[in-house]
Amino acid sequence: MTDTQGDVYEVFHQQSRGDPHIYVGSVHAPDPEMALLMAKEQYARRQACVNLWVVPASAILATEYADEDIFDRATDKSYRESWGYKTPKTVRATEDGESTNDED
Amino acid sequence: MTKIETCQALSGVTKEGVIDLLYRMADDELMIGHRNSEWTGHAPILEEDIAFSSMAQDEIGHAQAYFQMLHELGEADADTLAFGRKPREYRCAALVSLQKDDWAFTIVRQFLYDASEQVRLTALANCNFKPLAQLATKLRSEEKYHMMHGRVWMLRLGKSTDESHALMQAALDKAYPYALGLFEPTEHCQPLSQAGICPPEDDLKSQWESAVAPVLADAGLTIPESCKPVYGGRVGKHPPELTQLLDGLQLVYNIDPAAKW
Repeated sequence: MTDTQGDVYEVFHQQSRGDPHIYVGSVHAPDPEMALLMAKEQYARRQACVNLWVVPASAILATEYADEDIFDRATDKSYRESWGYKTPKTVRATEDGESTNDED
Repeated sequence: MTKIETCQALSGVTKEGVIDLLYRMADDELMIGHRNSEWTGHAPILEEDIAFSSMAQDEIGHAQAYFQMLHELGEADADTLAFGRKPREYRCAALVSLQKDDWAFTIVRQFLYDASEQVRLTALANCNFKPLAQLATKLRSEEKYHMMHGRVWMLRLGKSTDESHALMQAALDKAYPYALGLFEPTEHCQPLSQAGICPPEDDLKSQWESAVAPVLADAGLTIPESCKPVYGGRVGKHPPELTQLLDGLQLVYNIDPAAKW
């Protein structure tokens, strides 16, 4: 069955200024302006929000699941994982688990 | 002019005027919210179904806030005011009790209504009766979204196809005289304007006309000429649609007014 409800737009939600926009789902709409209006009620009526983005799903270039193996690590690369580093106590106290020392 | 800080500080013709104004606004909100809720499960697309239902809840929420203020002014509690009155005791304009009709009429009615609400709330946000000024300021943010929503739909449907344009023009021809009826003056309007609480209805109507005209023009729609406002709602004279609406709205309450769920 063909989709008669318009184009698909992906919706990104920002909870407070400075936060990253987080992907929350999609809406159908005939154009971007309508997509924003719809996104507001679908995704921002229950939780705090200061800003929304909508992006046409067709604008997204994605990898193929068939190529999922490109993400595999053929050799031991645990040195890239942040828990491989010793974090000074003072840093650990201010950070929440994930370290930012991920230079690889 | 001195500000009136609390509900208790209101008296005389000013208090009677505020009560009349709150009934007009609350009843408009309750009825249009109820009519719009009739689209739940039936709107053109799923997203709009959710958005429009959510907006219907907004309107009912505004009605509830006005009813609460009425209660503070000595009227019955919100449930009794919403469900416990006879049709002639309601003060809504005829526009809001009409059947939901098709989507074009629904959008046109909602747009014309929201614009009137925005004009009125903007005036009230600076009024001399502080509790109402504060409430109006709070409710305006939801109305801002309603106006964005209405404008987008008006432009899309007005300019989409010949069929959609014709449906929208027919809806506007039908709704416009009723929308003018939103500004039906009552005997309380003069004391309200003298007390610096609500500007005369004619002033609000002019502001409303200036607000809706550009959007209607952008949507390619023509305002019907020399139409006569449909009055009566503000003094309790309603079209039969209100009785039909209330039969549904009050059904459960009339079976058992004290029911809790």
